This record gives sequence, C-alpha cells and structure tokens, in this order.
Amino acid sequence: VADDKDSLAGEYVLGTLAAEERAEVARRMLADHELAAAVTAWQRRLAPFADSAAELAPSAGLLAAIEARLDAPAAATPRAPAMAAAEVTALRRRVSFWRGTTAGAAALAACLAVAVVAAPYWLAPSQGGHFVGMVSRDGGLPAMIVEVDTAEGTVSVRSVTAAAPSGRSLELWYVAEGRAPLSVGLIERAGATLRFPTGGLPGFIPASATFAVTEEPQGGAPEGKPTGPVIFSGKLIPAPD
Amino acid sequence: LLSRSERLETLLDRIAGRDRAAFRELYDAVSAKLLGLTHRILRDRAQAEDALQETFLKIWHNAAAYDPASGRPIAWMAAIAHNTAIDAVRRRREVLSRTAEEGDELMASVVDPGSQGPDGADREALRRCLDGLDPAHRDCIVLAYCGGYSRQELAERFDKPVGTVKTWLHRGLALLKTCLGG
Repeated sequence: VADDKDSLAGEYVLGTLAAEERAEVARRMLADHELAAAVTAWQRRLAPFADSAAELAPSAGLLAAIEARLDAPAAATPRAPAMAAAEVTALRRRVSFWRGTTAGAAALAACLAVAVVAAPYWLAPSQGGHFVGMVSRDGGLPAMIVEVDTAEGTVSVRSVTAAAPSGRSLELWYVAEGRAPLSVGLIERAGATLRFPTGGLPGFIPASATFAVTEEPQGGAPEGKPTGPVIFSGKLIPAPD
Repeated sequence: LLSRSERLETLLDRIAGRDRAAFRELYDAVSAKLLGLTHRILRDRAQAEDALQETFLKIWHNAAAYDPASGRPIAWMAAIAHNTAIDAVRRRREVLSRTAEEGDELMASVVDPGSQGPDGADREALRRCLDGLDPAHRDCIVLAYCGGYSRQELAERFDKPVGTVKTWLHRGLALLKTCLGG
C-alpha cells in the first residue's frame, strides 16, 4: 500500500479527518479494495483500545426506544454518510466467499441484447415495502430474480438460469444513480440465492437502483470494476400487494 | 460451556434471523461497553446515547454480514460504535472545550496496564509499540482514537500548528504499523 494511502486509512480510523474527508474516504473504499483493506488493517491494529473504555450503563428506556425503530424501513434508519468500514468489509468478505465456490458449466453467449421483463406471474405475493426485479435477456425466462424488502432491510438475489461459460464467472453489480458499479458477488450456479443487507448498498433507493451482470474472468473482475460485457441488467419495480 | 465470543456470535446469528429476544440479550451484554466507548468520544450523555441507538440499529440491519473469521464479535460491534461516534463528533457544530486534565486522565486510563481481556496479548503488543513512539506522537494517536480529538484540538493541546500535528500522526502511525508487524 502506498504510504499516503495508508496514512489516509490510518487517519480515517483514528478519526482525525474532517467530516467531508471521511465521507470521501468512505466513498473511495467502495471502489478501491486496497484502501478498504488498509482501513480494515488499521481497525484491527487499534481494536485493543476498545477494551480500555469503562462501561457506562445506558438510561432505562433506551432499549425500548431502539426496539421501536427496528421495524422502521431501513431507508428511514439514520445512517452515517460514511458506512462503517466494518460493514463494507463484511460485504466484501461475503463476495470473496462467493468467489470461493466453483462456477457453473453451461455456456452463455456473451454480449446478448439486454432486456428487462417484468412478467406479473413471476411476482410472488408480497407485502408493502417490497421491490422485485427480474434480470433477464431477450424477453426470455428470467435469469435472476432480485427481491428487496425495505422493512427487513434485505436484498435477495436468486439465480434461476444464469450459468457462466466454462472458465469464466458471472458477476453481479449494483449501480446507484451517478455512482460507479459496486460488486455484489458472483453468480455461481442456478438456484443459488445471495442475500445481504441493504446497508451494504450505499445510496440505495430501490426505485432507481440497477442490477447488472457481467461476464468476468474466473473469480471475478480483478480490479473490482466490471471489465466484461453486460449480459443482463434490470431495475426494480414495486411489487403489487 | 460457550465462550463469551461464541455466545455473542450465536446471538448475532439469531439477530440476522430477526430474533428480537436475541437482540435484547445482545443489548444487555454489550450496551454498557459500547456506550462507554461512544461517551469517551462524544463526552455528552445524550449524544453518546444517540450514537448507541444508531449503533444497535446498524447491528440489527447488518448482523448477517458479520463473519467470525474476521475477528471477535465484540471487536466488530466496537468498530461500528467507534465509527458512528467519530462520524457524529466530526459533524458536530459546537465545540466542547477540552481541558488538559481531561486529556491526561484519558491517557492514563488507556496507557495504564489494566484489565486483561481476551485481547490481552494484542493489547500488550499495542501498548509496547506505543511506548516506543515519541510521547507527543503517541498521545496524539491515543487522544484521537479514544477521545475523538480532532487535528485542531490536538494542535491546541500541544500548542503546535495543525500541520505539525498531521505530520506527527503520520509518523506515529507509520512506526506503529512497523512495530506491530506491518
């Protein structure tokens, strides 16, 4: 890691950066794996300091106040402009877990026309606060179904037919409006479900989020940025009750 | 018999499945520790409790992302609490004045060899490496991380320009990293 990057990561964890600088580092970490790793390393180095904090009993009623907010949609949850680095790295670890499993074998032609199909019969009954997206190509069967539950704060991605060509991997990306794509994980085999908290998706607004799948070298895009052709993409729509 | 970490891991796992009883149990187990941590940074009870609320909401929403391979559960939760409190203290408009005594007390509480938690060895290594630093560099690092001091507040405490403090922080961090084995 370059010295200046490591100093930046160290100061981010120490807490001495100004609010705007902190937000900027948090944004950069999403695309810059090296910076994110440097932040994680500093968190680990300085973690023993936490043990020296004296305990302080919270006011009675604080738990009740927190519990009352658990059911609020995740979007209404106060979220620091900078997501805790621990949360970002947790999402990354999840990605590497997906990278560890073997890719499926069935071939998929690259660079196919992209289409979004929202066939109502595919929509399972759901309650309010649910968004569903079908990621598909050529108006055919959906390759993946993306479900977002804003009440639970979870995103589930179920792979239906997607399978990578031999020696290649299919990588799922989340694209917030005006931001660089963020790797969510690899689509390993048909039928697998990837589930993660919406907290891992910065700037997540279901109605404007796009999910896309690209074909990448085995194990995923090396730089954390999509390099291969977009095979599928789709947006989310509110699920009917 | 489960260790404390194993017990907390089990609770986080159940919380990922939206188990309210597990959430209350986790709160009972770690809220005092995490509040101590946010209060040390924010030095204001109401603000520290606000940060604690945010911390527990993040734990509730992100419990599924906790990976035991990455470290102890208490370290994961402490990192979230620390980050939340630092975000709050850096966004805060008013500046709470800091006395030299407060800083001295904080330094003493952190640097004194005290409780031996499960992190005893790690903590000892960190303390040993801190001792190897220039005392002013060491104090800057401890006061920033544990007390939420900004560069400006450190500059006032040491009566130096902000640029000097920045240089001290970078030098101190670089030496600390080397001492801790990179």
